[in-house]
Amino acid sequence: MKAIKTIVEDNIDILVVGAGLGGTGAAYEARYWGRNKKIVIAEKANINRSGAVAQGLYAINCYMGTRFGENNPEDHVRYARIDLMGIVREDLLFDMARHVDSSVHKFEEWGLPLMKDPKKENAEGLAKGAYMREGKWQIMIHGESYKPIVAEAATKQADKVYNRIMVTHLLMDDAQDNRVAGCVGFNVRTGNYHVFKSKTTIVGAGGASNIFKPRSVGEGAGRVWYAPWSSGSAYGLMIEAGAQMTQMENRIVLARFKDGYGPVGAYFLHLHTYTQNGYGEEYESKWFPELEEMVGKRYLDVAASHVSARPIPTCLRTSAIISEMNAGRGPIHMVTMEAFQDPHLEEVGWENFLGMTVGQAVLWAATDIDPKYINPELTTSEPYVMGSHATGCGAWCSGPEDISPEEYFWGYNRMTSVEGLFGAGDAVGGTPHAFSSGSFTEGRLAAKAACKYLDDGKGEGIVVSDKQIADRKDQIFRPLETYRIGRNEITAGTVAPGYILPMPGLQRLQKIMDEYCGGVTVSYMTNDKLLNMGMQKMSIMEEDLEKLGAEDIHQLMRAWELKHRHRTSECVFQHTFFRKETRWPGYYYRGDAMKLDDENWHVLTVSHRDRDTGDYTMSKAPCYHLVNDE
Amino acid sequence: MINFDTTPIATLIDSEAYTYADMQMYVIIMVVLVVSMTIADLIHKGSKTYFDNSAAEAEALLAAGDANCSVGNEEGRLKQLSVGDKVGILANTLAVDIATAGEFTDPVRRLVHILTMYGFVLFNAATAMIIFSEESTVILAQVWNTGAILLFIGSFWYWFSFKVDSVSDAVPWTSVTLRKDSFSLALMATSVTAIGWSITNGGTGIWFALVIFSTASLFGGVYWSKFSHMFFKPVAGYNKRIIKANGTNENLPHEMRDSEWQQNRHSMELLKDAPMDMGLGIKREAPNHY
Amino acid sequence: MPTFVYMTRCDGCGHCVDICPSDIMHIDEKYRRAYNIEPNMCWECYSCVKACPHQAIDVRGYADFAPLGHSVRTIRDEEKGTIAWRVKFRDGRVKNFLSPITTQPWGTKIPNFRDEAEPSDEMRNSELLSFEPKYIRMDDGGLHTLESNKLSLKLGAQYHESH
Repeated sequence: MKAIKTIVEDNIDILVVGAGLGGTGAAYEARYWGRNKKIVIAEKANINRSGAVAQGLYAINCYMGTRFGENNPEDHVRYARIDLMGIVREDLLFDMARHVDSSVHKFEEWGLPLMKDPKKENAEGLAKGAYMREGKWQIMIHGESYKPIVAEAATKQADKVYNRIMVTHLLMDDAQDNRVAGCVGFNVRTGNYHVFKSKTTIVGAGGASNIFKPRSVGEGAGRVWYAPWSSGSAYGLMIEAGAQMTQMENRIVLARFKDGYGPVGAYFLHLHTYTQNGYGEEYESKWFPELEEMVGKRYLDVAASHVSARPIPTCLRTSAIISEMNAGRGPIHMVTMEAFQDPHLEEVGWENFLGMTVGQAVLWAATDIDPKYINPELTTSEPYVMGSHATGCGAWCSGPEDISPEEYFWGYNRMTSVEGLFGAGDAVGGTPHAFSSGSFTEGRLAAKAACKYLDDGKGEGIVVSDKQIADRKDQIFRPLETYRIGRNEITAGTVAPGYILPMPGLQRLQKIMDEYCGGVTVSYMTNDKLLNMGMQKMSIMEEDLEKLGAEDIHQLMRAWELKHRHRTSECVFQHTFFRKETRWPGYYYRGDAMKLDDENWHVLTVSHRDRDTGDYTMSKAPCYHLVNDE
Repeated sequence: MINFDTTPIATLIDSEAYTYADMQMYVIIMVVLVVSMTIADLIHKGSKTYFDNSAAEAEALLAAGDANCSVGNEEGRLKQLSVGDKVGILANTLAVDIATAGEFTDPVRRLVHILTMYGFVLFNAATAMIIFSEESTVILAQVWNTGAILLFIGSFWYWFSFKVDSVSDAVPWTSVTLRKDSFSLALMATSVTAIGWSITNGGTGIWFALVIFSTASLFGGVYWSKFSHMFFKPVAGYNKRIIKANGTNENLPHEMRDSEWQQNRHSMELLKDAPMDMGLGIKREAPNHY
Repeated sequence: MPTFVYMTRCDGCGHCVDICPSDIMHIDEKYRRAYNIEPNMCWECYSCVKACPHQAIDVRGYADFAPLGHSVRTIRDEEKGTIAWRVKFRDGRVKNFLSPITTQPWGTKIPNFRDEAEPSDEMRNSELLSFEPKYIRMDDGGLHTLESNKLSLKLGAQYHESH
C-alpha cells in the first residue's frame, strides 16, 4: 500500500458532510448568511451527480404553490400527518412547507425546466401561469440535470469542495462533552487520511438502502428503489456521535413497478391509471374494513372517506397489496392500456422513467412490455430507512423558535442533540414528504441556524486531541491491514477464518434484518421474540465487524459503508422493539401487537446510544398537532 | 553522449562478432513472431469473428430501416454509403486515427501515443533498412537515434502519467504486474537499452545483450501482451466512422434541437427563448478522478 | 441493468471514473480503458453514459431479470440543452424522446453571494431565508407563521383530524 498522508483542513466554520440535495442547500445558503465564513464540503462521490437525485427527477413532490393560490403550508402538514398515521414533527413540517416554494422558484430561475400547465396559461387571477401539477403537492419537471444545477449553486458559494472523501466518523470536542468538532475520513482515490476541523457540521449524508435483503440479489441488487450508495451514513455518523434519533422504526415499503422499481406517481396522478389484481378485479376496498379494525376510525374511516375524498395513507394501500398477494390473487397490475392510447400521455409515461429511473425503461425494452398493450406488474419493495419520502426516520432535531413548543426547541433550527451538529434532508427525523425541494430547504434552514450559532459565539474553544485523530486513523485503515495479514493463512480465494469482506458482510446484515426485523421474505412481519433474537445477532455481528477486511481502497469504502449500515440497522431494531404496536401496516407488522394503540403510542420514539458503552436508552416524545384557532 | 551520426549496429558489424546476415535473420524471426502471434491471438480470442459479426449486425440494422418507430421521428436517419464514401472514410481513418492518434481526446495521452508510435516506427524502420541495405548512412543513423529517443520519452511519460494515474486507487506507481504491463515495460526497456547501447558506442557487451533481451520480449511477447491490440485500432476506427456516416450509429439517438419537428415536441417550448449554445455545465472541467 | 464499456470506443479519458456516484467505473490496468468493477452496486443512473464524450458506455439490463437484445441509449447535449433517448425493444420496436435539461445557459443565473449585499440585522433575526419573503409567493406578502395562518400546536392524539 502507498504511504498514507494526513491532510488537515482547519478553521472551518461550516462543514457540510454529504452534498446531496440537503447538503447542497446548506452550502448554498451558508454563504448568504456567512459572507466571510469558511465553508467546506466533504462528499463521498462527485457533487455533480452524487446522492439520490443522480439520474434526475421528473417531479418535484413538495411544492405548495402559494403564489398561485394553490395550497397553504398547514395543508401540507395535515397531508403528511395523515400519511404517516399521525406521527410527525408538525413544527418542522410547517417550517419546511412555508419556505419550500422559495427554493423551487430559485431552481426555475437557475434553469431547471418546470412544466407549465397549458390550461392555466391564460387563467384569471393568481392561477395564471401555474406549473403543471401531477397531484396536489407535486409539479412536473424535466429534471435530468437537477443535481448538476443545484450542485453548481453550492460549489459557487463554498470555499472548497472535497470530492471522493468517504467520511467515516464525526470528530468530538475533547474539551466540552457532547459537542461536534468536525469529521475524519479517507480519500477514495489517493488513499490519504483527511481531517476536517470545524466549529459546526451539517450532515447531509444519505439514508439507508440495502439494509434489508433486496428482492433481486444478483446484479439486480443494484436496482434498489433508493440509491445503492445511500449507505445510512447520515445515521451511522450521528448515532456514533451520540445524537438522539427519532422514528427509526418507521421504515418505508413502496409499491412500484416490479423489478425496475420505476415510479408510479405520475401514472396514478397525471395519467389516471389504477390497479387491479391478477384476475382483473378491484381489490383495495376488500381489505379496508380489516385495516379499519386494526388502526381505528381516526386513521381509516371507510364510510367517511368516500364523501370527504381524504387520501388513504400510503402504508395502508401497500398493506392491501401485500394481503391480496398473500391471499393468492396476484400479481397486482397497473392498468395502463387505457391511458397510453393518448400519444401525449404515452410520451409522458416514458419520459417519466427516462428522467428519473432509467432502469425501468431498460427492463420494459428488455421484456417487450409496451404499456399500450400490456398492463405491467407492480410489487412491494424491500424496506428502506430514510427521512424525506413517505417516511420520517432521522435525528431528533430542534425546530424554529417561532413555531416549536418547548419540547421541540433547544436554541437552533435543525440542530441535533449534539452541540453544533445540524442535519438536512434524510438526516432529519420527523419530516416526511420533504423530497428533493424540502431537503434542499432543510439544508438552507440548517445553514442559517449554523451561522447564527457561530455569530452567537458558540463553537469557540474546541479542542481535538492528537490522540483522537491518531486513533481514528488507525481504526479507519485497519480493514486493509486485517486483510493483508489474514490473507497469509489461505492459498487463495475469498474465504478466510480471520476476516470477512464487505459484500458477504452486507449480505449477512441483510439476512438478519430481513428475517428478524420484517423484510420481504417474511412478509414484513416481526414480533418481540424475533426482534430480541435479531438484536443479539446484530451484536455478535458488531464483534465480527472488527475483523472486516478490505482488499483495496474501493473495498475499504464499502467496508465503512457496511459499518454505517450496521449502526443504522441496530438503531432500527431498538426502535422497532420499543414501539409496541402496529402503527403502519404495510410498512411492517408487530405480530405481538397487531393493533394501533393511540393511548400509549401516539408519541414519537426517541433513542440515545451511549458513545462509550453502546447502550441504548429509549424514550417517548410528545406528538403535537396543528389546530385551527377558533 | 549520443553520436547521432552513427548507430551501434555499425560498431557491431565492425567488431565482426555478427554479420548482416545474422542480423537479417534476427529481424525476420521477430517479424514472423509478431505476425504469427497476432494471427494466433486473433483466432484464439476470436476477435476476427467478433469484428465480422459486428460489421454484419451494422449492415442488418441499415437494411432493417425505420419501420419500427412508434414514438418520435426517424426520417432521414439512415444513409446507404457509396464506395466513394467508404474510401473517403478509410483515408480519414488513416490520416486522423492512425497518423495523429485521433481516437484520444485527452491531448496529453494523444501526444504520448504519437511520440511512442512514431518513435517505435522510426526506430524499427531505420533498423530494418540498415540491416537489409547492409549499410549505415548518416541519415539512417539520425533516424535510428531520434526514434529511440522519441520512444524513450513517449513510453516513460506514458508510464508516469497514465499507468500511475490508472491505478489512482491508492496503489503505488511501482506496482508492476507482468501480465498487464508487459507491453509498456518492453517498450521502455527497448528504448533505454537502445540509447544505452548507443551512448556506449555499441558493439557487443552488456548493453547489446540487454537490447536483444528487450526486443525479444517485446516482439516475442505479442501473444500475451497488448501489442496485437494495436493492430485492431485501424479496424475499430474505420468501423466507428462507418456507422456514424450511415446513421445506424449503434442505436444511439439522432434527435437534435436543430430540426423544427424536434423543436415542437412536448416541453421543447421551454427552450423557445433559449440560445442554441447554452455553454457547458459539468463538462466544463476536465476529469481529475477526484 | 449495469453498465459496460465498448472497448473500441473508449479512450480511457476518465470522465466516467470521475462522475460515478457509486465509485464503480474504474480504468482497467492492461487496456487503460474503463469498465464496471461492481455491477451489483450499479443503479443504472446513466451518469457515466451521459458523461462519456465518445458514447462508449452502454447498459445491459440486470441479468437476474432482464432478457437480452434491448438497447436504451442516450445523448446528453449540454450545449443544446437537451437530452435525447432511443429505446429499442428486444422485438425491434423503437421509441425516441427529446427533452430540455436546462432553460438557462449553464451557471449564468446562479449568483455568487460574495458579490451581494449582506443581509440586514432584521433579516438575520427573522425566520426568513435568502430572497424571502419575495420568492415564496413572488409578491410582497410576509412569511407564513402560526399567527398569520391562525394556527396553534396542541398536544394529543385527539387533534389528529382530517381537515
